[in-house]
Amino acid sequence: MSVEQGVMGKPPSARKRLRLKTVFPYLLIFPAIFMVIWILGISVIESFILSLQRFPFFITGVPEFVGVQNYLDLFRSMVFQSSLRVSLIFVAGSIALGMLISLGFALALYKLVKSRRYFSALALLPYLISGVAIGTMWRFLFSGDVGLINMILRSIGQSGVAWFSNPTWALLILILANAWGRSPVSTMVMLSGLQSIDPEIYDAAKIDGCTPWKTLWHVTLPQIKPQFGFSLIWLNFVAFSMFDIVLAMTRGGPGRSTEVLAVRMYYLAFEHFDVPGGAAILIMLLLANIIVSAVVLKYFKV
Amino acid sequence: MSTHTTRPMSQALVAVKKHLVWVVIAILVIWTVLPFIWTVSSSFKSTMEIYRVPPTLIPRDFSLHGYQGAVGFEGFWRYWFNTIFIAGSTTILVLFIGVLGAYGFARHAFWLRGPLLLCILVPRILPRAGLIVPLYVRFAEMGLINTYAALIIAYVASGVPLATWIITGAFGAVPKDLEDAAKMDGASMWKHLWHVYIPIALPGVITAATLTAVDAWNEFPFVLAFTTGPQVRTLPYVLYMLRATEGIEDWPLVNAFVVLTIIPIIIAYLRLEKHVVKGMTAGALK
Repeated sequence: MSVEQGVMGKPPSARKRLRLKTVFPYLLIFPAIFMVIWILGISVIESFILSLQRFPFFITGVPEFVGVQNYLDLFRSMVFQSSLRVSLIFVAGSIALGMLISLGFALALYKLVKSRRYFSALALLPYLISGVAIGTMWRFLFSGDVGLINMILRSIGQSGVAWFSNPTWALLILILANAWGRSPVSTMVMLSGLQSIDPEIYDAAKIDGCTPWKTLWHVTLPQIKPQFGFSLIWLNFVAFSMFDIVLAMTRGGPGRSTEVLAVRMYYLAFEHFDVPGGAAILIMLLLANIIVSAVVLKYFKV
Repeated sequence: MSTHTTRPMSQALVAVKKHLVWVVIAILVIWTVLPFIWTVSSSFKSTMEIYRVPPTLIPRDFSLHGYQGAVGFEGFWRYWFNTIFIAGSTTILVLFIGVLGAYGFARHAFWLRGPLLLCILVPRILPRAGLIVPLYVRFAEMGLINTYAALIIAYVASGVPLATWIITGAFGAVPKDLEDAAKMDGASMWKHLWHVYIPIALPGVITAATLTAVDAWNEFPFVLAFTTGPQVRTLPYVLYMLRATEGIEDWPLVNAFVVLTIIPIIIAYLRLEKHVVKGMTAGALK
């Protein structure tokens, strides 16, 4: 009751007190809800409206309502089709590699006793590095003249590879760089799942004569199903939203071989002044994230 | 090594299993550390040594050329100040909003609590880069392009959901009796938050603060889209532009710049690592 008194200054009447008690939680959450709805919510609604319009130039002049025309135009354009293909390969590759390394690392970290804390802290470190720095570091690692990888190849008598001139290599390195910087979160999440498993269940599995692989498949994985699902959602989200690592590493090149959807959206809106087209891509990215998250939530009961 | 008295076969299996863990840990360490080491090592090399085959891990002609170039870069200190100012203001605002919101969500039952909490959760799947298009339009209307305000508003809005979520989880774990005890003492809400909730939920609050600060420090798409001049631009932007202005890349300079932009984060992380790892593995993200 002291809370209400603090707000009102003097003891309020019973009715006022009741009213304040009802309103109070809303006052507490108001700033959070306001920021989210005012900035994020309205932006999404505005994007949706933008994506259904066409302007005489950039976003000036009287807009014309064109329905889903912008979406149809995108799907007909070769450039968008290529971006979509690149994004889908990138997302699939990033999820596969991300899940593999986070599960592997989490299982190994879980087996450690005293040193788990230190190695976990190390494993999380790359997540704190900016996308621009990640892109720059990995561009340097694979750089043609001075990159470590080519240096090693040359030291053992091989010739260096022009990694970023080859579309397949460039996309592969992008997947590696993304996994390096973003999968530490899923590693931590899986580790938290493993730590929450009751150890007795392993003793039971041992008594039943389960091999390590069988234990992993039939005991461990089902137990961390929610964390597994969360990791899928996370990796899918970061891969679909991929933007800064690409700009710092390849700028979408060579050609358009690493131009993922978010990068295409940026070029479309800010270089070709097709803001409605960019907004349409945002809506599609959002839908992709919502659909994948909903499916994962349903099957993994996160 | 092993003093097991079981059959040799299972003994071998145990040994393999034991080593397998350390093999994976070794991979983890190399995978995590290698890009850092190569960048740091090269940042201290001369432009000539960068090209040496076989490569050197510890520079033979140790050179500060890269760092001199980075620090002497036009407006370097301005970019530093901007980054610290924007990341600092964002973190303070997000924590304030997040703690209040979390207190509301974790400790009060009210109409529409579920849907409103979902309102906070769902924006986490909004692609940040995607927001540059609609936000640019709105900031332009408000005359906020190339101001601190545009960046801070955008960062606070995109930081609030995760922070509120993490702190709500942490506050939810505070024992109810403690709250009642504090209430009987007649402590005000602020005292109550400050002396009961925040200390107990500290790993969660620190995790939220760290992730918010790191996100703001590292953010790139918003700076790229909402700024037109060096007055408000931050370090990631300059790192990105370094490449565009150089013909043949001055790699020691670029690497020194990378090191200088990530070193504050690493230092802060070394101090807070215990809380952050605890916060993140305590299911704070779920």
